[in-house]
Amino acid sequence: MMTKYSNLSLETPDISLTASPFTSLPIREEMMTKYSNLSLESHNISLTEHSRVPVEKNITLERPSNIQLTCQFTTHKDVNSVNVTWKKGDELLQNYLLNATGNILYAQYMFTIINSEQMGSYSCLFGEEKEQRGTFHFKVPEIHGKNKPLVTYVRDTTVLICKCQHCSPLNWTWYSSNGSIQVPIDVQMSDKYVIDGTSATETRLKITQLSEGDQGSYWCRAALRLGEREERVELVVLSYLVPLKPFLGIVAEVVILVAIILFYETYTQKKKKHIDDGKEFEQVEQLKSDDSNGVENNAPRHRKNESVSQ
Amino acid sequence: MARRAEPPDGGWGWMVVLSAFFQSALVFGVLRSFGVFFVELVAAFQEQAARVSWIASIGIAVQQFGSPVGSTLSTKYGPRPVVMAGGVLAASGMLLASFATSLTHLYLSIGLLSGSGWALTFTPTLACLSRYFSRRRSLATGLALTGVGLSSFAFAPLFQWLVSRYAWRGGLLLVSALSLHLVACGALLRPLSLTEDPAVGGPGAQLTSLLRHGPFLRYTLALTLINTGYFIPYVHLMAHLQDLDWEPLSAAFLLSVVAISDLVGRVASGWLGDTVPGPVARLLMLWTTLTGVSLALFPVARTPTALMVLAVAYGFTSGALTPVAFSVLPELVGTGRIYCGLGMVQMVESIGGLLGAPLSGYLRDRTGDYTASFVVAGAFLLVGSGILLTLPHVFCFSASASKPQDSGTEAVHTKVSLTRKGLQED
Repeated sequence: MMTKYSNLSLETPDISLTASPFTSLPIREEMMTKYSNLSLESHNISLTEHSRVPVEKNITLERPSNIQLTCQFTTHKDVNSVNVTWKKGDELLQNYLLNATGNILYAQYMFTIINSEQMGSYSCLFGEEKEQRGTFHFKVPEIHGKNKPLVTYVRDTTVLICKCQHCSPLNWTWYSSNGSIQVPIDVQMSDKYVIDGTSATETRLKITQLSEGDQGSYWCRAALRLGEREERVELVVLSYLVPLKPFLGIVAEVVILVAIILFYETYTQKKKKHIDDGKEFEQVEQLKSDDSNGVENNAPRHRKNESVSQ
Repeated sequence: MARRAEPPDGGWGWMVVLSAFFQSALVFGVLRSFGVFFVELVAAFQEQAARVSWIASIGIAVQQFGSPVGSTLSTKYGPRPVVMAGGVLAASGMLLASFATSLTHLYLSIGLLSGSGWALTFTPTLACLSRYFSRRRSLATGLALTGVGLSSFAFAPLFQWLVSRYAWRGGLLLVSALSLHLVACGALLRPLSLTEDPAVGGPGAQLTSLLRHGPFLRYTLALTLINTGYFIPYVHLMAHLQDLDWEPLSAAFLLSVVAISDLVGRVASGWLGDTVPGPVARLLMLWTTLTGVSLALFPVARTPTALMVLAVAYGFTSGALTPVAFSVLPELVGTGRIYCGLGMVQMVESIGGLLGAPLSGYLRDRTGDYTASFVVAGAFLLVGSGILLTLPHVFCFSASASKPQDSGTEAVHTKVSLTRKGLQED
């Protein structure tokens, strides 16, 4: 890191520092010595005079650190004529460093973030008419709940989980909400709610003996050193009747199907039997007439002949 | 009921195809899509993935080892009552599983109970199908087996939707209702009496006669070896692709390509098996050899195009060998003994299936990549197809221009003449 900016003249603290009227802006020199045990984070943005859109950079910060922000501006014009400003939100910042090499202008701002007041957006601005802007957004790490609603049943037990991957919050709190009002969850009141805080990076809210009234949104709030984060977990509580109705419907459908199949089969078999019986009857008749020697049977034969002759 | 000399080859047989289609969907499609519930159960019971995956493993093992039970009962009572009972068992298992409070509960309900239900359905249905068809047997089997592939496409998103709407308990409840359709499939299996049935005797007699039947034993051995290699890509292809630094989405796409070519292969091979003259065992040899070769070539292919081509080839050939594998059996042992025969084959070949995946995993752990596993899988398939050479009629190209008569009819003639002699002597 240091080799990259070796051509930058890091100005020493003998510059007269004007005490900033805004208490939220740290006084550089004292902070640098006081917080030298903090880590240093360096970030930079490159701009040219032809940039169409403002360049932004999101930085996730969990613990207090020293910050070094650098913007480099490439221009064809005379670098010394470019107007440079640093802003935090809308407030003008002072005590930034400038260096020029060839046709690249480097602007650097160094400060320390110790609490949530120093978090926010820091911008470097170049030029007057066509202002080129680079912004650094400082945010606390995100916490994750569950994207999809959690589906449970009445009298079940469930666990709502909120996690933070890259941070250890100082404190976790849970809220339930009816509409827009957030009500903190009282753990001491009964056995129903138990908050498990064994792991620093995640929190678990166990709810027992669920009822339909427990349905709704739950919020987990993480208190971090540099700010607060909040995430929503949706809980759905169903009664057993909800899947039972389609279940019974499908079972009824299967029973009807089986009945249709079996009845169709007996029906076609009966029809077949009827036809077979008819055939048998004719065969028996033929056999009778074939076998006949006696007089009694002449009558049917005669009848048959008669019918044929007709 | 009148005894038929020849299988009907159509008519009600097509309803049996429909029944087999749905029941292979409801047994294997459900098993293949069980992964959706797997994820939920791991989270719900806070258990390791290995312990939860035992649920499906027990179910598959019970289904395969219980096949002889299903086929023995079908020989005695006909396929219809057996399959309907199996459907009730399978659905009850899922129903009880929806109330599970521990993993053991799930092992017993899904693994044991549903597994036994599935054991009573798959083998009897396929055997019944073989009895209804002779000239178009391979096509009918191929069409019926497409149920497995198509249902995997349908059930995976369906189960996902069920779980998101009703959680895993409600989802299992509705899958239980879905499985109950196996009872309706069973109702479609009209009993068929063929002329050789009384000659081959009851299940005990059939089993002993099968155990003495040389070609049948060789065929079972060949299928066991084939089964050992067959399942390896199903289990390890995804991991192999990840080893080659494929993205999960492209890898899933490749697996879908394999599934589609598997479907096409089944139907094409079924049609081919009926139109090509000569014993079906030759076609089985052809497809098995091609599958073995394509498996062995997998480690050599590194570029995406080569892998895609091999994937299509593997999918097609492995799908093609399934319907002919079932069609060879009636030609060997006759439609009279088909229930017992199929049950035994399923039970023994399942040993191959159970060993194949762990063996492949072990080889991978020892050698570092899947080259050895794929080559060994291909080798198993090639050895299996080699054993098929020893089956009757496979090697003589001159004599049999037409399909060999089901050897069952030969057995009938000899047995009938013997009994007649016996009667005359009395």
